[in-house]
Amino acid sequence: MTMNQPSPMSAPAGVPISPPQRKPRRKLPRNASLLIGLVLTALFLAIALISFFYLPSNPNIPVIRNRLLPAGTPGHWLGTDVLGRDIIAQLMVGARTSILVGAGGATFSLILGTIAGLAAAASGKITDEAISRGSDILLAIPGMVTALVLAATMGSGALTTILALTAFFTPSFTRVIRSAAMGVLNEDFITAAKLYGRGKIFVLARHVLPNIAGVMIVQFTLYFAAGILTEAGLSYLGVGVHRPSISWGLMLNEAQQQVGVSSPLAIWPGFAIVLMVLGLNLLGDGLRDVLDPKLARRAS
Amino acid sequence: MNRRVDEVHLTPPLLEMRQVTQTYSLSRKSLLGARPTLTVLDKVSFDVRPGEAVGLVGESGSGKTTLTRILTGMEKPRQGHVFYNGADIWAGDGERWRNFRRSVQVVMQNPRSSLDPRMRIGLSLLEPLRSLKIEGDHAARVHEVLDQVGLSRQALERYPHEFSGGQLQRIAIARALMPAPKVLIADEPVSALDVSIQAQVLNLLKDLVNELGLSLVFIAHDLSVVAYTTSRVSVMSAGRIVEVGKPLDLFTRPQAEATRNLVGAILTVEAGLAGNALA
Amino acid sequence: MTKPQQDRAQDRTNVLEVANLVVHNTTLTAVRGIDFTLPAGGRMGLVGESGSGKTLTALSLMGLLPMGWQANGSVRHDGVDLIAQSDKALSSRRGRTLSMVFQDPLSSLDPVRRIGQQVSSVIRRHTDAGKKEAERQTLELFRLMSLPRPEQLMRAYPHEISGGQRQRVMIAMALACYPQLIIADEPTTALDVTVQKQVLRLLNTAVQERGSALIMITHDLPIIAAMCDTVAVMYAGKIVEMGPVAEVFRSPRHHYTKGLLESQPTMDNIALDGSSRLASIPGMVPPLHSLPKGCAFHPRCSAATERCRTEIPQLEPGARRTACWHPIAAPAEAAIQAGVSAS
Repeated sequence: MTMNQPSPMSAPAGVPISPPQRKPRRKLPRNASLLIGLVLTALFLAIALISFFYLPSNPNIPVIRNRLLPAGTPGHWLGTDVLGRDIIAQLMVGARTSILVGAGGATFSLILGTIAGLAAAASGKITDEAISRGSDILLAIPGMVTALVLAATMGSGALTTILALTAFFTPSFTRVIRSAAMGVLNEDFITAAKLYGRGKIFVLARHVLPNIAGVMIVQFTLYFAAGILTEAGLSYLGVGVHRPSISWGLMLNEAQQQVGVSSPLAIWPGFAIVLMVLGLNLLGDGLRDVLDPKLARRAS
Repeated sequence: MNRRVDEVHLTPPLLEMRQVTQTYSLSRKSLLGARPTLTVLDKVSFDVRPGEAVGLVGESGSGKTTLTRILTGMEKPRQGHVFYNGADIWAGDGERWRNFRRSVQVVMQNPRSSLDPRMRIGLSLLEPLRSLKIEGDHAARVHEVLDQVGLSRQALERYPHEFSGGQLQRIAIARALMPAPKVLIADEPVSALDVSIQAQVLNLLKDLVNELGLSLVFIAHDLSVVAYTTSRVSVMSAGRIVEVGKPLDLFTRPQAEATRNLVGAILTVEAGLAGNALA
Repeated sequence: MTKPQQDRAQDRTNVLEVANLVVHNTTLTAVRGIDFTLPAGGRMGLVGESGSGKTLTALSLMGLLPMGWQANGSVRHDGVDLIAQSDKALSSRRGRTLSMVFQDPLSSLDPVRRIGQQVSSVIRRHTDAGKKEAERQTLELFRLMSLPRPEQLMRAYPHEISGGQRQRVMIAMALACYPQLIIADEPTTALDVTVQKQVLRLLNTAVQERGSALIMITHDLPIIAAMCDTVAVMYAGKIVEMGPVAEVFRSPRHHYTKGLLESQPTMDNIALDGSSRLASIPGMVPPLHSLPKGCAFHPRCSAATERCRTEIPQLEPGARRTACWHPIAAPAEAAIQAGVSAS
């Protein structure tokens, strides 16, 4: 089990050259991965929201007479686990945790990574070296070690997992943001802005940030997905969330103990993880296609 | 025309570089050795008078870029001074600096890179006024400048990707004109443009000099383009200005070797058809 | 410097016959049906601005179209139709019967292999020359291109030599196997002006020495005048004017050709006292996705009439071809017409 991270390929290596002056409309409906990604992501978000108001039954209270009901049982359409708890209810609450942890980790690392990346790109050589080498060092520490140390010192739980993800993702965010910002800072419009007297902060806020927003959104969705996978891994290993919290990783962990008795138990949370991660990755890919052509400038 | 050049010469320079030497230190060759330095500009003096169009030519690596950076105040010279209107721009107070910033504007080579793709044209044009805190009727100024560069007002609501290279260069020129500068520095303004568009932009620059009484510093690698636009040309080579003269004199009686090389490198259609262009 | 003699070209077959070449991707058509022939040893200039389709035309001849682009029509070369050829067959031709010199020599050379190795591997790939023989031929090529210290150059890496030298190496590589045709796409645009002439001169003699035909792609008209016998002017994916260089440049018949000749500042058309004013072509190159109806040039043309707005003019047959409903009359004709109207 390793910590998951989007591959470096997901960072924009260069701005693609698009055919000149093509109207950007028509792109949205034609982008199938964006559509599928949006639908899947929205579906899981909706499920997580609904779980606050309605659950088919309490996912934490054992009902011994309902032990290991098969899928298709009226009232328990995906069946129950070894303690008779409804799978659907558990999946719904699990969606909450997965989204909270994934989005939390991605958001915090996005914020920290953006600050550090912009600082590295825009300040002098010494700050840049310090930040870049610092993130290299952090990247060299396996994420799992960070997570275990944090779990040991703070106790495991959703917050710990978010912190572990933040520590793990921030350095790579920093790198991506730094290189994207450097690309923008090399453009002539930055020189022009300096020539009519704009300062660093203004340039970063009004010129650099809007131009790397696309990269940030795409990276956010990819790290969101990676966060969900990592959370599942940590909970599966028992250093993630615990009952009464439920996560898909925790469900996998519990199902694994019953694998000889009822293998479908592991399928449902696995299926949820795959769909959610797939949805986010498709969304990220789709957004990249939609957002990047606007960034593109002819090199000529 | 010649008479005007002579009259111009009687007035003091508006923007002037005097005896500027610029060196960069390179990385050490050995651990304890001294850092070797690279002299990019060697006691270079350069000036432009009010209403005058001057050119600067030279091969890549001759120091054109550094000279441009110093002339625009992007770099501070190690030695020597830059004067605007007789005052050293690096020695005065904030007010003097702001006046310099406002009065000397730049048009760059690549129009697609010189406008923020996420900013509407209208906002890009207002930026210099806002940044330099110039009071007045901004909307009226925008419309006036659009007329000067021959663009319609519909451009204001659009984004850069909706324009062609030639139109974007007009917009970049418009932005440079916004704070009503006295000096326009154009760094290879047509070399990234389509051939059929180059003449439009060159003619526009010529007209601006004539109609607004602007001073123009035109930097290019192509002597023909510079000769078309300016009345006095400086030739740079290896960090020095090796020759200054009227285009006609440079072409007919080039003195410095660098000038002779540049003149000799010019190809013409007529020589090509006669079969002796490459001789 | 003499140009290759016309008579030598005429008694041999054509090295290239392009008929109705169309290059398109799923949404855009960049080359909209062009025809031309090039005799063996002939030299043609292909003039056009960005978006004219000149580079895609060249790449389609080489079978090097970028992803998503496709060529239709026929391109006869060396007894085969290049468009019908497989990638493998085309790749065995590249460097052997056909070769290309690109604009940027640095990105066309492998940065981690020695220059001598790169050129001699082309020779070894296409001929049965051994290692020693290939190296000997490489040295000979370097001498042909007047490269300084050819023995040392063999062992140099691309970043160690100047841009002009790199482009001369690229030309040497392109000429290595005595190709029937060399396509040079803006070969001197990335070079300093003072180096440009030398590289052109070397390209000129080397092409002549090796007996190759040349297609020179550039927007720089003086280069075409210096290097080519014939010229084809492209605009918005079509050839609008074609013929012997001297005739086309001295008395252009298409308004776009005339505009190009007048708008480019060269020593031909500017006075040096600042008094001259270039005639500029109004408007801009139309984007491919919204080409005007009829003649694509009509919105920018002073002579445009209703017919130009509706009907696409075709190239008339002959040596001197123009696709224009209202071609500019040749000086002689113009004089006659003036006489008629005066009487």
